[in-house]
Amino acid sequence: MVEERNNGGKGWVGASLPRKEEDRLLRGRGKFAEDIKLREMLYLRFVRSPYAHARILSIDASAAEALPGVACVITGKEIAAETQPFIEIGPDHAQKIRDFPMAVDKAIYQGEPVAAVVAESPGIAEDAAEMVNVEYEALEPVVEAEEALTDRSVLHEAAGTNRVWNGVWEYGDVEQAFKDAAYVVNIDRLHFHRFSSTPLENNVIIGEWNPKDDRIYYGCNNSFPSFAIQFLAAHLKVHIDKIRVQTFDIGGSFGIKITSYPQMAVCALASKKAGGRPVKWVETRSEHMVASAHGNERTFRNTRVALDKNGVITAIDSKHIDDCGAYPRYEPLGCVIWSQVFCGVYRFKNARIDFWQAVTNKCPVGPNRGYSRMQHLWFLERVIDICAHEIGIAADEIRLRNYIRPEEFPYTTPNGCVYDSGNYPKMLEVAKGLIGWDEWRKKQIDAQHEGRMIGIGIGTTLDSGTNNFGQSQIINPYAPFSGNSQGANCKLDIYGEVVVAVGSCPQGQGHETTAAQVVADVLNIHPDLITVRTGFDTERNVHTGMSGTYASQFAVSGLSAVHGAAQKLKTEMKRLAAFLLETNEDELAFGVGEQGPEIKANATGKSINYWGLANIVNVNSAVLPESLYDVTLNCRYVWRAPFKVPDTKAKYGSLTLTYASQLHIAVVEVDRETFVPKIIDYVAVDDCGTVINPPIVEGQVYGATAHGIGAALMETCVYDEVGNMLTSTFSDYTPITSMNIPKIKYGHTSTPSPHSYSGAKGMGEGGAAPIHTISSALQDALFAHGIVINDSFNNADSIFRALKAHDGGQRAELVKLERKQASSAK
Amino acid sequence: MAIKFAGEFEVKKKPEEVYDFLTDPKRFASLLPDFQGLTIQDATHFTIKVNVGISYIKGSADVKMELAEADRPRRAQYKGQGSLAGGNVTMVAGFDLSPTEYGTRVKWQGDAQIFGRLASVAGGLLEPLGKKQVQKLIDGLQAALS
Repeated sequence: MVEERNNGGKGWVGASLPRKEEDRLLRGRGKFAEDIKLREMLYLRFVRSPYAHARILSIDASAAEALPGVACVITGKEIAAETQPFIEIGPDHAQKIRDFPMAVDKAIYQGEPVAAVVAESPGIAEDAAEMVNVEYEALEPVVEAEEALTDRSVLHEAAGTNRVWNGVWEYGDVEQAFKDAAYVVNIDRLHFHRFSSTPLENNVIIGEWNPKDDRIYYGCNNSFPSFAIQFLAAHLKVHIDKIRVQTFDIGGSFGIKITSYPQMAVCALASKKAGGRPVKWVETRSEHMVASAHGNERTFRNTRVALDKNGVITAIDSKHIDDCGAYPRYEPLGCVIWSQVFCGVYRFKNARIDFWQAVTNKCPVGPNRGYSRMQHLWFLERVIDICAHEIGIAADEIRLRNYIRPEEFPYTTPNGCVYDSGNYPKMLEVAKGLIGWDEWRKKQIDAQHEGRMIGIGIGTTLDSGTNNFGQSQIINPYAPFSGNSQGANCKLDIYGEVVVAVGSCPQGQGHETTAAQVVADVLNIHPDLITVRTGFDTERNVHTGMSGTYASQFAVSGLSAVHGAAQKLKTEMKRLAAFLLETNEDELAFGVGEQGPEIKANATGKSINYWGLANIVNVNSAVLPESLYDVTLNCRYVWRAPFKVPDTKAKYGSLTLTYASQLHIAVVEVDRETFVPKIIDYVAVDDCGTVINPPIVEGQVYGATAHGIGAALMETCVYDEVGNMLTSTFSDYTPITSMNIPKIKYGHTSTPSPHSYSGAKGMGEGGAAPIHTISSALQDALFAHGIVINDSFNNADSIFRALKAHDGGQRAELVKLERKQASSAK
Repeated sequence: MAIKFAGEFEVKKKPEEVYDFLTDPKRFASLLPDFQGLTIQDATHFTIKVNVGISYIKGSADVKMELAEADRPRRAQYKGQGSLAGGNVTMVAGFDLSPTEYGTRVKWQGDAQIFGRLASVAGGLLEPLGKKQVQKLIDGLQAALS
């Protein structure tokens, strides 16, 4: 152990340690919210609207209430009478949206809860829910965002419009750039499809409203509880300190579980109505698919791209329309979050993006791995590939001509974001080497001669992490959020055990392990000697208002907080040890002795172990001088990101602290008979700066790659014209499984971030690189057939239809190239 | 999700006889596939109970029907609405009658809108199943009017 205390002098940050969580989780010994059983617990089942848009004429729950075992039935009207609508982040008319956790007068998406039945068992609740008779008057549904903006049928009558938000981001001299361009490429319509995450564990909530003191307890798997309680306190009209939220092991979230606070409200209110008995809701898979949250769908219209004679993009002008589903809720933050990666990995300085967001009669959206940025990055990668094909420049070459150059970092984007570090040409070189680029190009030519359709595609993407909540003020200047913070606590327990508590709620990201690695380096001990308490608990008093697990930030915000708390503890330990060992603080050495972790005086060789230190502070304090009464060995540290509030009018400022990058290359073949696209080779190269734990990073890369491949080729939320979701089961949605994931060749480069104490960058979301890459490869395979890939979702059916449409000129309808000056781009 | 049906047939009965049959739920309703029962509210409103079995969704549904258009002996139109296991169905079914040399030509058209879980989990099955059931009904009508 002694020899291992500092990993042979290399330190623990960067070591390939197995995850501390593994033993528990792989043996089935994890503790999840569904495992929690409370005395006298009741079970809740929602009655959901079959209609995407319908007025509720009446609800007759008498038959359900009469069923033995039913405790109560609660309706949206009852909730509206007792609570305030949820806070709306959007400005102006969006403030008038009245959002309650269940439909009150009308349902505005299929699956929206209209009532909830609470019973002694899940089975009774399910049976009783079917006995609730709801009479509806069907209203005209709107399922497309562009159509919704016409306000032909308005969802939120109080708001008077389906438009949630609109704003223009404009920088440089766009029109001059178009005047000076050698080429102008016009792209009529691109579309990023709606898909979701399918975590192994669905949403689970236990809510208990104690009638004695009006305190509310939640045991749940919400992944951003500090945000949820801010919404819940105002909605439930209780002091925020009266709400306790506890999370446990969480079986995946990908952001989707941020938005379970409406159901949390219902469980608490149902508990109140049931006399304070705890109420548990366990979401079914179909409920999750239809009514939890989906990722944002976005349409890009009337895009114009100006390029110089070398194929360097000089300006982009486009209109983007985001579909946030029935309620904005966490939105319209997505209306600004995309601008963290405004120019992607490219250098263009002139741009105008006219951004709109609309509500539609579909499931509300929520943050979903790569939230809001992936849509924009896909758009930029489509732009680069379409321009490359139109002008006749190779996909790798046009990227090299447009990438931000390594020597330009830290790089300030047109909207004031500061990219910390990166080397995109190097990543391309590594990826090309791993996949065998030149050989594949030769094979591709041979295959084309045989009539085969093989394409090679590149996707370069960013994973912006640790966001500045001040960007919310670009959406609404009155939004009371800015900066970013994370809390951690590091202490010597009464018996000298090192215990770390963090405000995050990991869902498989290995926070227990990486936090232990950081503290181990500070105290010069082995990570196994450190206990890390994960799982959020408001009563640990660790969290800040931004604590949770989201937005690729734990490596920066979470571990900076852990590092700060460990440093505070170390400072206190040094003061105490210097007194006890009668030496100077700078004469002390941290390490591990025969009696465990200790501090030794270099000059005398005397030492005191951690138990001795903790004992004196906690149970033997009479020996302490008054000057050390402030030493608690229980240190909370709040890390704050060094952000300023952005210039909200100019939409200018630093919106994110770190920018991890991913570069993927895929070789895809489209079967000539069946049109099934198949990945035949795949490379993923990652740069997240300093790596805390390589296997954890590699695991995240594989996970994000699988997620993206699923989204690109298999997973899409299909709605029919009246708003029925047609992919509400796994047999229809077809989530990716291990059987569908190709062998992935993994590569890594590292440009440490100057913006984090360790050089690390958040990287868990992955930037949806496979979606960009597969679109790129498919276009490469099909461009010769007149196909331009204009949708992020492509399967055999859509490819067949595109090829069929080619007879009518799909490419000609979609893309127009203007050659304004004679040039020789190739 | 919308399903549309249309077709025509000819029977050796007078338009008045065909019209009277089609607008009498006691005679007409029992021809519906999986018919279980009928409750008549008034001259133009009645409720049919039918068995439903689509994939794992099984049970019975009460379908409220209204004779929305009654133009003897030329046209009859029904409107209906039913619910089952989290799904709702609304339908419009019309019959246009015209005299022919041998009897009556019956042109029929229907439009069903399906909402909710039925469409979500059994969407792919509904159209072929619906068309099969409609064909059964039409066959039954033709037989009854022969």
